[in-house]
Amino acid sequence: MAVSLTHLEKSYQDPSGKSFRVLGPIDLRIETGEFLCLLGPTGCGKTTLLRILSGLEQADSGKVSLGAGRFGYVFQQGALFPWMNVESNVMFPLKAKGMTGSECRSRAAEMLNHVGLYGFSKSFPHELSGGMQQRTALARGLVTEPELLLLDEPFASLDTRTGINLQEMLRAICGRLSTTVIYVTHSIEEAVYLADRIVVMGHSPGRIVRNESLNLKWPRSRLSSEFTEILLSFRQTFEKLVDPSATLSS
Amino acid sequence: MNGEIAHNGDRIRISGRFSVKDLEDVTTSLEGNSARHLVLDFSNCQSIDGCIAVRIWSIAEAKNAKGASLEFRGMNPDIEAIFNTFKAIDDRPALPVQKHTLLYNFEDIGDKVLATWDTVYGLAIFTAKAFKALFSGKVRGSITAYYMEQSGVMAIPIVITLNWLMGVVLGYQAGYQMSQFGGELFMPALLAYSICWEIGPMMTAVLVAGRSGSAFAAEIGTMKVRQEVDALEVMGFNLYGYIVTPKMIALFVVMPLLITAANFAGMAGGLAAGGIFLKMPAVVYIAEVRKALIPFDLYWGVVKGFFYSTIISVTGSYMGMRVRGGPAAVGRATTSAVVVSIFLVILVDALLSLLFIHIRPGLLL
Repeated sequence: MAVSLTHLEKSYQDPSGKSFRVLGPIDLRIETGEFLCLLGPTGCGKTTLLRILSGLEQADSGKVSLGAGRFGYVFQQGALFPWMNVESNVMFPLKAKGMTGSECRSRAAEMLNHVGLYGFSKSFPHELSGGMQQRTALARGLVTEPELLLLDEPFASLDTRTGINLQEMLRAICGRLSTTVIYVTHSIEEAVYLADRIVVMGHSPGRIVRNESLNLKWPRSRLSSEFTEILLSFRQTFEKLVDPSATLSS
Repeated sequence: MNGEIAHNGDRIRISGRFSVKDLEDVTTSLEGNSARHLVLDFSNCQSIDGCIAVRIWSIAEAKNAKGASLEFRGMNPDIEAIFNTFKAIDDRPALPVQKHTLLYNFEDIGDKVLATWDTVYGLAIFTAKAFKALFSGKVRGSITAYYMEQSGVMAIPIVITLNWLMGVVLGYQAGYQMSQFGGELFMPALLAYSICWEIGPMMTAVLVAGRSGSAFAAEIGTMKVRQEVDALEVMGFNLYGYIVTPKMIALFVVMPLLITAANFAGMAGGLAAGGIFLKMPAVVYIAEVRKALIPFDLYWGVVKGFFYSTIISVTGSYMGMRVRGGPAAVGRATTSAVVVSIFLVILVDALLSLLFIHIRPGLLL
């Protein structure tokens, strides 16, 4: 088991000092090598959950057990360092772990090759398109070959075609490295395409409302009847979260 | 099919589907009927556009305010749902208005005191962590050199120019006043003391706070907004060691040098003022300054520089690290960094001045 969350809760204070719970209680187990999508509407606490898992925020109560030692994080806007070129950005987590220059360089080159950016290693982030920046961020997240990869809506700001290409690439690389993945998204189609299991979160406070493994084989086709059926089922769950009185006509 | 409106005394019957094109007809019909109790019959109405519903609702409210009424009858569930939504919005309790009572004023003062305490406490903890990182981490040479260039080398022209001007102004004003009593020969000593003890270090600190303190806050604040700080933290970097200490080390090196340069520039300004306005020969001015100053006076600027460097680098970094939200928060952090830095510089300067008169050799109390 890679991750176990037990009765996790998180509250914030509003400007008047009043405390309100944004998350929990959350109980969740994620198996090693599993690709799990956290799906939910904006503001349901998906990112907060991811930040707690990465240690960027502390939960008020509950327990987080990480079976994984190394983990990577891919942010929504990439969070690349603008003063470094693509190669230095990708090498950076390796240097943080004390790896030497030549080894860093070869690992970074290999990962840039995987994400199709080998020829752009000397470019700076501002010289790249949004898709290429996200590929760089993905390469940076994966270069340490993490046992657990956390992704926070990494392709949300990209056009559909680029997003689909990157989803396919992500799935292929993570499959090859047997990485456990927690992928936050509010796109149902993205979740159904990528995930082994989808956890749907509701808001006020953020909680799990549906937790379901997908019986879809690889390679997946977005046009297959099984895919559409699952997509509609999750859309119905999703729309009920946004508007409880809503029903979906097929 | 557009909607149709039929009038029958104090009853108006609307039929069909009403779109935005019917807005004027509906308005004219409802406002033109002066019955005190007007009935609007929706029995044959299939649908109404949202803006028609808003207009009908506002006319009903206006009639109610005048003591008249507009009653809705025969609504289908869809139309009824629209008006129920409006009613729910109208029925919401009004937000409590905070009255400016005496209690409110005390609460307001209390909130501000607590917010200030939070800042002071946070800044103290941040400073302790920054010093811990400073003594336990390795020095990032290239980035430290970059900040030394930005905060030190590039500040030289403005620091020297302004301190020279301060020296000219002080020299002229002090010399003019003293010449009334034939005491212009004391002007160089007065000026040298003023510049080395207070004006040089203080002006330099204010300028560096304005140039570099704000830049540190803006840089770190932008990194926070763009999640670069989170990325560093996730990779396992010590944020204090990576982000704050290079700025501290850079200012520790350049501040004393800038203050020393500022002191000499200020005294050179006094020399110019003495020569131009008091016709004082340069050799006399320099001899008087050398008679007045002791090396301790110049070293004191270096000591002050250490304190001011800490204040400016740590406050700028702390305000940047506190940024939450979007780019507007970066602007607020920048302003706070400059205001708090200058306040703390003046506060520490006052405390150091009290210490100074007790430890400087040759000062009579």
